[in-house]
Amino acid sequence: MSGGTKGLNSLTSSDGSRAPSGTVGPGSSTADEASGLLAALWTPPTAGVAVTAVAFLSVFYHVTDVVGGATFLLMEVAVVAGLGLAAAGQLRERTAVVVTLVGFAVALTAYFFSVPESQRALFTIGRVGQDLLALASGLSVLRLVNAGTWAVSLAPIPTFIVVYLTARNRHVWAVSIAAATTGFFVLTGDAGPGVALTGAVGGAITLGLVGLSGAGLRGLEAQWDTLAVIVAAMIVVTSLLTVVPGSAQSPVVPGGQSPSVESSLVSNTERVSVLGSISLSPKVRFTVESNQPAYWRVGSYDRYTGGGWVRTGESQPYDGSVRSPPGETVELRQQYEMRAEFDAIPAAWKPVSIRGSPSGITQVTSNGGFTPRTALQENESYTVVSQRPQYTTGELRRAGTDYPGAVRQRYTQLPESTPDRVSERTQRVIAEADASTPYDAAVAIEQYLESTKEYSLDVPNPSGNIADTFLFEMDEGYCTYYATTMVTMLRSQGIPARFVTGYTTGQRVGPEQYVVRGLDSHAWVEVYFPDVGWVRFDPTPAAARSDAEQTAIDEARESGTVNVDAAGSEDGVYTTPPPTFGETAAAGNATGGDPDRVGQLASPGAALGPNVTAEGNPFRDGLGATATVEGGGGGGGGGGDGENDGGGLPSRSDTVLGVAALIGLAAGARRTGLTRRGYRFVWLVYQPTGEEPTETAERAYRRLEYLAGRRYRERATGETPRQYVAALQRRGLTAEATAVAETFERAHYGTGVDETEAAAAVETVDELVREGLPVVGRLT
Amino acid sequence: MSESDVDADVDNSTALPVDDASELVGRVSDNVAEVIVGHSDAIEHILVTVLARGHLLLEDVPGVGKTMLARSIARSVDCEFKRVQFTPDLLPADVTGTNVFDQKSQEFEFRPGPVFANVVLGDEINRAPPKTQSALLEAMEEQQVTVDGDTRDLRDPFTVIATQNDVEPGRTYELPMAEIDRFMKKLRLGYPDADDETVMLERTAGRHPIESLEPVATTGDLRDARATVADVEASEPIREYVTELANYTREHAQLGVSPRGSIALVRAAQARAVVDGRGYVIPDDVQTEARTVFPHRIRPRTGSETGLDVTEDALNSVPVE
Repeated sequence: MSGGTKGLNSLTSSDGSRAPSGTVGPGSSTADEASGLLAALWTPPTAGVAVTAVAFLSVFYHVTDVVGGATFLLMEVAVVAGLGLAAAGQLRERTAVVVTLVGFAVALTAYFFSVPESQRALFTIGRVGQDLLALASGLSVLRLVNAGTWAVSLAPIPTFIVVYLTARNRHVWAVSIAAATTGFFVLTGDAGPGVALTGAVGGAITLGLVGLSGAGLRGLEAQWDTLAVIVAAMIVVTSLLTVVPGSAQSPVVPGGQSPSVESSLVSNTERVSVLGSISLSPKVRFTVESNQPAYWRVGSYDRYTGGGWVRTGESQPYDGSVRSPPGETVELRQQYEMRAEFDAIPAAWKPVSIRGSPSGITQVTSNGGFTPRTALQENESYTVVSQRPQYTTGELRRAGTDYPGAVRQRYTQLPESTPDRVSERTQRVIAEADASTPYDAAVAIEQYLESTKEYSLDVPNPSGNIADTFLFEMDEGYCTYYATTMVTMLRSQGIPARFVTGYTTGQRVGPEQYVVRGLDSHAWVEVYFPDVGWVRFDPTPAAARSDAEQTAIDEARESGTVNVDAAGSEDGVYTTPPPTFGETAAAGNATGGDPDRVGQLASPGAALGPNVTAEGNPFRDGLGATATVEGGGGGGGGGGDGENDGGGLPSRSDTVLGVAALIGLAAGARRTGLTRRGYRFVWLVYQPTGEEPTETAERAYRRLEYLAGRRYRERATGETPRQYVAALQRRGLTAEATAVAETFERAHYGTGVDETEAAAAVETVDELVREGLPVVGRLT
Repeated sequence: MSESDVDADVDNSTALPVDDASELVGRVSDNVAEVIVGHSDAIEHILVTVLARGHLLLEDVPGVGKTMLARSIARSVDCEFKRVQFTPDLLPADVTGTNVFDQKSQEFEFRPGPVFANVVLGDEINRAPPKTQSALLEAMEEQQVTVDGDTRDLRDPFTVIATQNDVEPGRTYELPMAEIDRFMKKLRLGYPDADDETVMLERTAGRHPIESLEPVATTGDLRDARATVADVEASEPIREYVTELANYTREHAQLGVSPRGSIALVRAAQARAVVDGRGYVIPDDVQTEARTVFPHRIRPRTGSETGLDVTEDALNSVPVE
């Protein structure tokens, strides 16, 4: 124990008995001190601080779980918490704050030097400021290239000071810092509603308990319902209102209208979350004139968080052209016309140039796609030139695994918490398909998912790792589930892959014209092959999806929804597609159905044997639009799911929310006397007959008193019924009230009343209540 | 007044219907009011005390008509009235009576003291030494006196109206709290207001009206009315209310109201109910009576407070259920 302890003693003596007197040896007294500190931790408000601390630590943990270093983070946090506890007995508060600030500066510096040299040049004052603003406006921490370093460097800082302050009984300060940290993550969008809620609830509990502990146990008993109302209100309100940026993916009203596939996928944000049930919008988004059909791609995502997707890195302004893919390519010229305001620039992979009004606001993402800085307006049009990689199956098979380091690092990332069984199942799938190359592995996985999972838009809210859940616990899902799972499985085998969102080809209405609707929004997979680039795979069963989409279109047409058709799409497809899949595939082949990938594969496809089905899928993608008009060949499967009617059991979060709301409402109703008032109202306007005359008369008077209490004033303490009625008669109460009061006196204090008297009293009061109904109306 | 009337057994009395009892009280009250100008509240209080088998303590300056009031009431109900002027040299026997040896019959003969009457006015009771005071107070409590080992019942009804003079406190023996407690009520008549006094002067200018005052009821009627009072319903809410009031005074004063005080209040409230023509007590009765039954039993915490203040606080603070 150093000399500095003296200052501490004087400082902490008011806090309790922790301060040892004089200079004591470091031996036993330290142990005492430690146990004393632990005892100090064991107070009710500490629970609240702990809850809030768990909230922000869970975000740090999640970040490191996604990008690596979770175990290290846990150990680090444990050590720092111990340090904080020890420091609580050693450091003065001012010193501790200085230590924290210095630590913060050191952590930021460490992060700065961990950023690659090339990107470090970007660090200017203005740039850092912009980044801070961006972070605070919904830019996920996970978008930082070195998110892991960032988390590991910064996590100890709030941990230390929170533990330190808690141990010193500064619960309010501790929880403020913990809540501020959580709040930061809420702003960045990393803290989902659950974490935000946990943080807020912890804060409320702390503040509530700190406040109530002043009044002792009795105060707690008297006020628990207030605290319950506050906490429940926080839970419910936080769940209902998502004003914080970055959390737009959370449903505004749970159990209400399902969000659409489109809004969950194609809003051009840096992240995609996987939701539960969703619906399809039949409205036309844009029309495309393209020399070849393709998937109109909107964005791709590289970092998998377990619950969704994040695009890391910064977008650069578009400066006239973008690099072409490495291998052989074919040019695709597309002209888009927007039919709705649109926050994305659809383009076939891989776009190299854009012309038209949006070019000025175009940015190139770190993944090589286009994204607008601001939303495109309705009727805006532009032209994109894309260079699509040309390849054959053989080339893909021969591509090998010599991935560039950057690609391997960025596109094989998986959360550390991804269960091993995902990898094991993938290995089995690959082994069963006898696949020896990444290409064959991808095909095997694609086929596996298509054949083992059903297509459905009406699925429970996912929890935990989406891919793991979908693979092992769910039997049905939609494109997001399929694509996420496929990327995860590929990555588990070290094959670089990414999650892509956009639109399928849409309905073909002319030789080179396509109408794309909201329900064409889709998610699929791109796999990287050396010397070729990104190649598209779509694990979603197309037929079922088409059915669902067609049903949605038909229903929309029947119900007269506007903007369902455009450019003659209501007249049906341009070419007549064959009614069955097999023929569809054949037709696809004949017309070069999906030249995007399978156009090249189609001819050798015959040689693929069992893979034909898998390869056939893109045909269906390509013809998805045409199939829609015909109602698809599959008939019915999943079609009714286009609109989620919210059937089935409520999800777990809905249940929690409901319970919280109920508790809150009950406590609130109790607190505000709402239940009492509601009961009072019924009680006031309706008096059942059949009671004892005495009780009837008493109740008649109580009603009178309640009514008069509302209209004039309540009976004062120590005021007798007789005095009360007499006093109110001077203010206009009817003289008949006296009789009611006298009947009451006889019933309550005297020897009782007979039925006639009681009935007369009830009659009088009923009349008064009727007269006062406008007044009664105001009661509730 | 016949001897049989005086000694009539209490059990012989039959409770009057409440309305009759109420009417009786009204009759007596009106009759007394012919003599006593103003003080109608006090008349009612005295009648309530009589009906409730209580005794009354009047604290007042001399000459405000205490004796006249007591006499008028006694006369109105055809009661025997005696007055004892308490002085420092008054002995207990002067109050209770004494055995005198009769030379003729060679026997001790009991000469009843003034306490053997229906209405006894103990004037300036605080002038007598404690021993004499306690003789009267014992008679009040026991309804009987014991002289030389013989216990003799007192008249029924029997009501003591004692007066206290607070003009010359230096020459008085203040009544102990325990004895004050035995009075059901303590009243203060006060001076009549100017109009009343003028009327009073007019009435008394010639022959004093008390001389012509005729009884309007008999002691038997009075006993019957007392039986009526005893039958008046004091329901549980009322009993609880009285208990709460007493508890309040105990919590908010140095010395609160004793259980005897609570009993007195219930009885007084019963009598008040009869006066108002009701067969059951309502909280209003309790409140009216508490103001005269409670205050003299309370010793407040501070000198600036009076027993009446504490009582009013209790009435304002204890909810009426």
